[in-house]
Amino acid sequence: MSENNPADLFDEFGRCIPAESVGAHRKSRRYFQIAKPEIDYAAILERSVRHFGNSIADELDAARFQARVESILEGLSKDLATKNITRGVGIPFIVPKTTEADIGAALEKTYLPAVAAAFHEKLPDATFKNHNRHPLDGQLGIVSGSRHESLIEAAGRSAVVGIYFPCLSEYSVPGAVAQTKLLPEQFTLAGGYDTCAALVGTPDLLIRADGYPPLLWLGALETQDKTSGFHFEAYGLNLTFNHRGHHDKMAEYWWCGLSVLG
Amino acid sequence: MSATQIADTGLTAAEAAKRNDLASRKPYVAAKLARISEMEARGDISPIIRLEKSYLCNFQCTHCSAEYYMDRHLHKVFKIEDERRKIDLDDIRELSRQADELGIARFVITGGEPLVMKDFDAVVEAIDPDKHYVITDTNGWFLDYERAKHLKAIGVEKVQLSLDSFIPEQHDAFRNKPGSYKRVMRAIDASIDAGLNLILSTVLVKGRAKTDEFREMCEFCTKKGIGLYVSYAKPTGSCTEHPEFVITKEDADIVREFEKKYNVFTHMTPSYGSFKGCITVKGLITVTSTAEVTPCPYIDLSLGNLRETSLAEILDRGMRNPWLGPHRPDCLIGEDPQFIKLHTEKTKNSVLLPVPWGKGFSDSDSLVD
Repeated sequence: MSENNPADLFDEFGRCIPAESVGAHRKSRRYFQIAKPEIDYAAILERSVRHFGNSIADELDAARFQARVESILEGLSKDLATKNITRGVGIPFIVPKTTEADIGAALEKTYLPAVAAAFHEKLPDATFKNHNRHPLDGQLGIVSGSRHESLIEAAGRSAVVGIYFPCLSEYSVPGAVAQTKLLPEQFTLAGGYDTCAALVGTPDLLIRADGYPPLLWLGALETQDKTSGFHFEAYGLNLTFNHRGHHDKMAEYWWCGLSVLG
Repeated sequence: MSATQIADTGLTAAEAAKRNDLASRKPYVAAKLARISEMEARGDISPIIRLEKSYLCNFQCTHCSAEYYMDRHLHKVFKIEDERRKIDLDDIRELSRQADELGIARFVITGGEPLVMKDFDAVVEAIDPDKHYVITDTNGWFLDYERAKHLKAIGVEKVQLSLDSFIPEQHDAFRNKPGSYKRVMRAIDASIDAGLNLILSTVLVKGRAKTDEFREMCEFCTKKGIGLYVSYAKPTGSCTEHPEFVITKEDADIVREFEKKYNVFTHMTPSYGSFKGCITVKGLITVTSTAEVTPCPYIDLSLGNLRETSLAEILDRGMRNPWLGPHRPDCLIGEDPQFIKLHTEKTKNSVLLPVPWGKGFSDSDSLVD
């Protein structure tokens, strides 16, 4: 492994380098991994339109979608501190215009069904299962300091284009929040809409035949019990959504994501 | 807990009936079992305690994880006696007390072959079947109807019976014991007739998941209403000489798909929505005959000795160890090549297992050394 430049915020694999004060494994042996997918902008757009609705098509076509994503990547690449994030996995997504004010209700009514439909369409022999028994409707808030409100506010106005980077690998959930606060303003901690949108556009993101992918927390969302959270997780060749306690601990298997909007 | 309360927890009707029956006979045990999910939600753990009081065994299986702990191995290979102090019934009573204080609810008597132990009944009594749910492992050789009835009468609730192939000759060869397949089949009926809960356990070696034999065993168990517990072959114990047994992720994923249609599960199978993953410490510990606590039957590295350290501190050591806690989806000793290598290196020169705390596992462990 090569040494990172002290100014680098991300290592040569795109992992966000944890600050000393942050709850995260200092180094990663990269045992849990997400394979870097080929990006097919037209396919992501088509899936997003099919499963989120035609309103996206009114605002975007494949060329504009691609241009906006490439503009995000260009901006990140030009900055020496952030350029390495583009070496890792980055998933372009489209969050549809969402006027529902309640995040939990929107996840239950729109986003999780869209993930299920996209997954079944892409992998008809596998299953998506929502194991969560905790109510979402009226129960979810945005974690202070996550900057996630910028995505929610933008989605209230129009469809949002962004890139989901699962780069906060092996961080505790509070560690991911603390790290986000230290990053430049364009980085927001991923929550429900962006993670779901990434999985609608790239349904097989967490499916690996040759090794194990990480669990992805919706780190920017919280309930009354701040030591637990919601997450996506593969089970073999299947995808699950669930809730569990994290109790502020870190694990090699637990990752959070950052989103950059454009 | 009432039947109505149990029915509200999303259990199958058969499982709810079993739990209601237990609640009527052993309300203290049933209440502890019912609290496990809320303990886990709080971040507490309630591992099953596998108790290896004796390693005596009438079999010599190809894949035995306990062979290197056995006197016969130490005599034959190293020409030595194990002089370490062995656990006695008082130690088991103390372990039972500490476990109960921590809300731990389940003991598995294992070995060796538990049913050759002369003090088996006394061990059950020392665990206290009115405080803990008691399970026994067995190869089935001695488990006829009379013995099964006796087990039920002394407070054993469940039997885990080993069956390593649905082809009689293959099972007998794997177990190095002609006639053992027939004895397993007898033991299945004996256990059911005696009212014992029963699961079959079987070792999955590389490639077996794709065979007709394995599918037929899954079908048999499902039709019979018996759970089939699939244990991955691990490169420890006798299996150290068979690294080719270690499964691939493809094998593990085939079993995961089988869970959708057969009554089959591994130690990582989600239970009623609880995705524990690898259950080392979180869901299982082993207490060896010398009071050492290991995080799994196949990991020969101790987290501490119960004569020196409390059970609570030993469990904390496990949960703060980066290999073991708090959550991983795969089998640490069965699938993680780096840990398998580390384990092999740490154990290769150890005559007496497990490797003590501080020499194998320690609080300075790191994933990236």
